[in-house]
Parts: sequence; structure tokens; C-alpha cells
Amino acid sequence: MYPPKLSEIIALFESLSDAEKREMLISYADGAKNHAPREGEVFDLEDVRKDEECTDTVGIFLKVGEGLASHYRVTLGPHVQTLTRAMTSILCKGLEGLTPQEVLDVPADFVPRIVGADLVRQRSQTVYYILTRMKSAAKVWLNRERARAAGGDPLPPSQPSCPG
Amino acid sequence: MTFSPLFLFPNPGNFFAMIDPNYAHPDALVTTDWVAAHLQDPEIRLVESNEDILLYGTGHIPGAVHIDWRADLQDQTMRDYISPEAFAALCSKNGITRNTTVIFYGDKANWWACYALWAFRLFGHDKVKIMDGGRDKWISEGRELTRQTPQYPATEYPVPARRCDDEIRAFYEDTLRQSQNRLPLIDVRSPGEFKGEVTHMPEYPQEGVLRGGHVPGAKSFPWKRAVNDDATFKSAADLKAIYENEAGLKPDDETIVYCRIGERSSHTWFVLTYLLGHKHVRNYDGSWTEWGNRVRAPIERGE
Repeated sequence: MYPPKLSEIIALFESLSDAEKREMLISYADGAKNHAPREGEVFDLEDVRKDEECTDTVGIFLKVGEGLASHYRVTLGPHVQTLTRAMTSILCKGLEGLTPQEVLDVPADFVPRIVGADLVRQRSQTVYYILTRMKSAAKVWLNRERARAAGGDPLPPSQPSCPG
Repeated sequence: MTFSPLFLFPNPGNFFAMIDPNYAHPDALVTTDWVAAHLQDPEIRLVESNEDILLYGTGHIPGAVHIDWRADLQDQTMRDYISPEAFAALCSKNGITRNTTVIFYGDKANWWACYALWAFRLFGHDKVKIMDGGRDKWISEGRELTRQTPQYPATEYPVPARRCDDEIRAFYEDTLRQSQNRLPLIDVRSPGEFKGEVTHMPEYPQEGVLRGGHVPGAKSFPWKRAVNDDATFKSAADLKAIYENEAGLKPDDETIVYCRIGERSSHTWFVLTYLLGHKHVRNYDGSWTEWGNRVRAPIERGE
């Protein structure tokens, strides 16, 4: 149902108590900086923006490689919330290597299984934001490819909402 | 000009960090210097309250405990605050006695710190203070943070006889009467929210309010006007100019403040109550998420 890497992360979180889940989320949040673009990397799509509802700028960088395997890098402004940072690490690892269509097909219902029902209830939009942005990038990439294949102009990027 | 030595502390930077002695209750604020010098003080308890629910776990002031505005202070079923019994248990768990001076600080220029302080006042815990500038100021000064969660022996905190809702809290009916009688009503949200152009504050998600605008008769004084760029409170003279000269509030007025869910208005409630010494200020915590959804609640839009 879920991609294998994401399934592993889900299984890990489901084995933890609520307190341990929070510690693990903070650990993932600490690692978010490791998913920033590295010097010399080139991307097929860069979507850096601060949405009106966002506390800070978030940049999504997508490279689609051999076999349509997608690789995400993410930049986060200093005021982005800890939970959003954690989801950045989780998703960069969990979606690594999927095709853009497979990213779009990942159901969002795994999020409560990772962060716990309480945090979803209390911060419902924050926990879905990065996934929404990654899916948006995948969709834009697919639309561009389709437009290119049809000989037309690429479509402009979409503007998903963002709670940051 | 002379300053009381009680409120003047040397700062590692170029200036003296100080609390304006002209505030009505300058002892309601402490500086980061003061906190740094009192980390081992058994008479105080530092409480971090944030909007970012995981932020405390990423590092906090040594010895500080975490109180979450939603999980700890609010009833988890009904939209209300916890019971006096639950408050006593919360204090006991965090090693707070009836005589402990609780010093609140947090992110977002101390919004949630002021909210938690206000909630403590609901239960009659009056020995409360805010660390001026909050978490961001502490961090910007390069001060120590730890991830170690402190453990304090449980205390015997007496169950408060009642919650003082009638003193510092306003409900829908109170606010409606205030509006109908054209008594002081301060809307501390952003100008766009006040005008009804948006139903959430900038940088925040839409959170289910069906109508935009403001309570008829309310004046717009966004909370942010009360703070400096470093999140510290403005001087007493500046605050008087804003709230007394410009808004026309008087220290004996019955004033109600509101925002969207009561956190930004807690900040303004703190300013009016502690820094300007207004005696009858109440926070309408139902705020716009109640008013803007209420059937037939009167609404004004525009300036």
C-alpha cells in the first residue's frame, strides 16, 4: 500500500510510545538540514516560495533521474515549525526513488500513523504541508512532461496552500 | 534618570537590559539576564509555552518545564479550560506550589506564554511573570539550552476553590453587551482580519470561521504594536500613547480584548493589566472563532 521505505518508517513510529514518537520526530527534525540541496546539484524543478499562510519560506527541489526515480531536496526557512521539519526528513527518505506518479499516488492517511492522532488533531494542517508541496512538484513535473510530449508549452506551477 | 536596581541587570551585549520602571507593575516582567542568574532559584519555576508543539523538545532553558496551551490547559472534550482539580494536578506534576513564582516564556513574542499566564490567573495563581523577549531573545543572546527534561518532586498544590472566569475572562454574551453599550472593545488581530478581508491571520491556515469582520464597535489595535523588533515590550510611555491616547482606554475602564482564539489577546490583556495597570480587562477567549461562526452574531466589516 505504501512505498517500502515509507512503510519502514511507519512501522518504526507505530512501535513507539507517544513520548518516544515525539523524541523521534525531533530527531527527524534535526536531520532536515541534511535534505537541503547540495552544491552543484541540478534539478528539473525548483519551487521556492513563501505561501501567505506559511510561517516561512519552503523550497522544494525535484530531480527525476534514471527510471523516472525522483529525488527531493528541501530548504526550510528558520521559522518553519518543528513538525514540518520532521515531516521533511521523513518524506525525503520515505519517497526517495519513487516515480512522480507514485509520489502522487501515495495516500496521505499514513501521517496519523507516524505523528500520532493527537498531534494531527492539534496541528492538522502543518503535518500535511510538505507532502502537499512534494505532490504539487510531482504534478507540475508530470504536466510539463505531458505538455512537452504533446509539443505544447509547459504548464505553470500550481499554488497549493501552506500552513508552514 | 535613575533605575531601580531590582530591574537593572548587566547584559553581555553593549547595553543594560532593563525593565521600564514606569510600567504599572514592572515586577511582572523579568529580563533574560535575571532568569540566567536565577536558574537554580527554588522559589521560581520556568515554564515554556509555545505555538510550535515540539519546540521545547528541541532545546529549552535549563530547568524549564513545558506546558502546552492545548494539551495541558484546555479541556480535551469541551471548548473550555481544565478544571481546578486538573490545574492542581498540572502544578503538582511540574513541582509548582502555591507560593512558587511562575515565569513564563515562549515563541511568537510570548503569545502563548501570556496565554498560559492568563490561564494560571484564572485559577488564582497570582505569582506570575513573563520573561521579556521570550525564547527568541534568550537564543539570540547565545544563552544555554538543554534537551534534558527536568524532574521535580510532586507538590501538594491545593485545588483552587473556583476558576475566576468572571474576573478576567469574557464570554460571548459579555462581549455582545459590551458591543451594544459601546464600551471599550479592542480587536488585536491583523488589519485584514479586522476588516473582514481574511478570516485567519497572515501566515496561518484558514481555521474554519464562516464569516469575516469584527465585533461592532471594536477598535483595531493589533497586538504587535505593543512589542519591539526583538519581541520585548515597548516602554510604558509608548504603550500609554497607543492604548490610552490613541485608543482612548482609561485605567478604570471595563475593557474586553479579543483575537481569533484568545492567544494574541492574552498578550494585549497582559499589556493593559500589568504594564499599564488597567484594573478591569477581560480576555474574550472564544474570540473570532466563536463570534464569526455564531448564528446571528452582529458583524461589522471594513475599517
